[in-house]
Amino acid sequence: MIFPHAPILAIVIPLFAAFLIPIISIIAKRFGAERMRGGWSPPWGINLSINGLNLLIALIIASIGSLVAIYSVVSMERDNGLDKYYTLLLLVIVGCMGVALTGDIFNLYVFFEIMSISAYALVAFRRNWGSIEAGIKYLIIGSLGTAFILLGIALAYGLVGSLNIADLTGKITEIGATQPLPVIIPLMLTLFIAGFGIKIAMVPMHAWLPDAYQAAPSAISALLAGATTAIGLYAMLRISYMLFGAVAIGTMFIILGLITMVAGGLMALVQQDLKRLLAYSGISQMGYVLLGVGFATAAGIQGGLFHLLNNAIYKVLLFMCAGAIIYRVGTSNMDKLGGLGKNMPITATLFIIGGLAISGVPPFNGFASKWMIYVAGIEAGQAITYASTAIAVIMSALTLAYFLKAINLIFLGQRPMHLREVKEAPPLMLFPMLILAVLCVVLGILPGLGIDLVQPAQSALGVI
Amino acid sequence: MSLNYIIAMLLFTLGIYCLLFKRNLIKMIIGLQVMTNGLHLFLISLGYRTDGIAPILSSQMLAGNGAANFAALAVDPVPQALVLTSIVINICTMALALSLAIYAYRHYGTLNPFEIRRLRG
Amino acid sequence: MAGMTVIVRTISRLLFPFIFLFGIYIIVHGHLTPGGGFQGGVILAASVIMLLLAYGIERAQAKVNVLQAELSESLGGLILVGLGLLGIVLGITFLKNVLPLGELGHIFSAGNLPVLNIGVSIKVAAGFLTIFYAMLRLQGGKE
Repeated sequence: MIFPHAPILAIVIPLFAAFLIPIISIIAKRFGAERMRGGWSPPWGINLSINGLNLLIALIIASIGSLVAIYSVVSMERDNGLDKYYTLLLLVIVGCMGVALTGDIFNLYVFFEIMSISAYALVAFRRNWGSIEAGIKYLIIGSLGTAFILLGIALAYGLVGSLNIADLTGKITEIGATQPLPVIIPLMLTLFIAGFGIKIAMVPMHAWLPDAYQAAPSAISALLAGATTAIGLYAMLRISYMLFGAVAIGTMFIILGLITMVAGGLMALVQQDLKRLLAYSGISQMGYVLLGVGFATAAGIQGGLFHLLNNAIYKVLLFMCAGAIIYRVGTSNMDKLGGLGKNMPITATLFIIGGLAISGVPPFNGFASKWMIYVAGIEAGQAITYASTAIAVIMSALTLAYFLKAINLIFLGQRPMHLREVKEAPPLMLFPMLILAVLCVVLGILPGLGIDLVQPAQSALGVI
Repeated sequence: MSLNYIIAMLLFTLGIYCLLFKRNLIKMIIGLQVMTNGLHLFLISLGYRTDGIAPILSSQMLAGNGAANFAALAVDPVPQALVLTSIVINICTMALALSLAIYAYRHYGTLNPFEIRRLRG
Repeated sequence: MAGMTVIVRTISRLLFPFIFLFGIYIIVHGHLTPGGGFQGGVILAASVIMLLLAYGIERAQAKVNVLQAELSESLGGLILVGLGLLGIVLGITFLKNVLPLGELGHIFSAGNLPVLNIGVSIKVAAGFLTIFYAMLRLQGGKE
């Protein structure tokens, strides 16, 4: 009797978990940094470790996962093989939550692989020529990345003899205190940053991202942009801070962040396809987060993590709007669209809210987090931070430029004849987008809420 | 310098060479497998102890030597568990990669990755 | 697929039950000797795939057809996760032992392990079969 309605459980249960996370966070705050045991105490056993940073990332994953699941009920209704789609979607969410909450480095690798493999399969879901090509590129580059991560874990185990992250941190700090660091530790750092950098599409390793985001179904592009990028960044931050500590690697993050930001923004200026433009602007926003974290002051890390939270919100909103346009019109090539503002007013408003938020215009959340990063850059006081703040402001103006171009091409202007009958997106598709837009506005007017969320995360990373 | 580590890194390098320079998708996937085999050899050799015994605890072992002695003699079982998990993960990746290669052949008619490049920009 | 020569067909038809039995032996003795769920599952899958290579698709489908493979795959996964959740319900932690521990060296001992091995082996064997059938363009449900 429940069988005809059983598939809805696949959406309801992660939704339930998403609303359970704030309760868990309240309980965890009562008990400080809490570790759930598996019957064996650490460091021999695998345990989950919950601190401020984990909770922030788990909150992002759970909310975005449930919103994308609601969105894909409508946007995937014309595809077949949907049972496998939902299995893979849930496996991506499981993998992300596993990476976010674990305290053991090999467990992190296993969940990271679960998430990656399900993501490769989801990018190639529609099985037309573009999806297969994008899937192959993503798979080959991603597998190379995870092989590097496994080599780093093998070297870490050989050096220290333990796999628990807290234990590794303690023992490597001991080694670093008594003697100069062995040569193997910079090698491990390089391997980890290369491996996780492939996942978050830092610039030398971003080649898979525009094709993957263009060819994947829109709900999956949203999920990849919001969830897996955040997970890659979280893993990279956690492992780098484990090995080296904040101040020594800050300059490297600043340079990587600058290159990513500039390259992503410049490539986005020349795109004609809406989803490729959004993909390149996503690369650019990740550069901002790396920049903020690289400043290595408390304000800088808070700004970077707050920008990560905001990026998840407005990137997912923008990809969902793009998905709504594709669902109704059938193409995402901006040269063929135009004047849709009259047909799809709600989608147009939400896209404009997302576009203004990502460019850093005042009443929205992007302005709050970018302002924090600029202030942190100026307060840090060195020549490289002044220069990077200036470049960041210029890139922000460029972001506004290409988003205004996109809004103009799609929603304003002349409407071609064959687009006269285009209707508004269905309400079930609009519902997650409305929630995200409301969050954009709320976090912009009251940034204190966001900073309250980010403050325990920043202190968990162990900087002043 | 133990022979195991040299061969493991040699396999890793050969695998990366194959992945980067061969012009056939199936050969690239084989290169990926050779690379991960080198990594697994590296991991298992990390746990090796000279003249060690297999880490299987049986009742004769407990009665004869005692648990602490067994722990001092046995080879480290943790890297072996890590490698088992990693082998399973690699099977999933390779199955997905081969299926995608089959689809690519159906759509493009070739397995040369330099010609499967219609998405540009 | 046409199949292969008479020698290959005869030997694989004769060997199939022995390889299947050997796989089951490795699974059931997983807590006593080297082996266990994954290794035994691979052997089970290899035996059916040997039939598929020697005889063609129809004979392999007569043994284990596509629908059975897909169903057993989900069942195996559910056994594994269900037993772990049973650990949460009855005890404190995921995958804690809920079945009686016996003496060292007997088959009916070691708590959860034999049931977990069986669950894993069903999932692995069915998973491999589904992959091979899918590569040969057979689909269980809709296309």
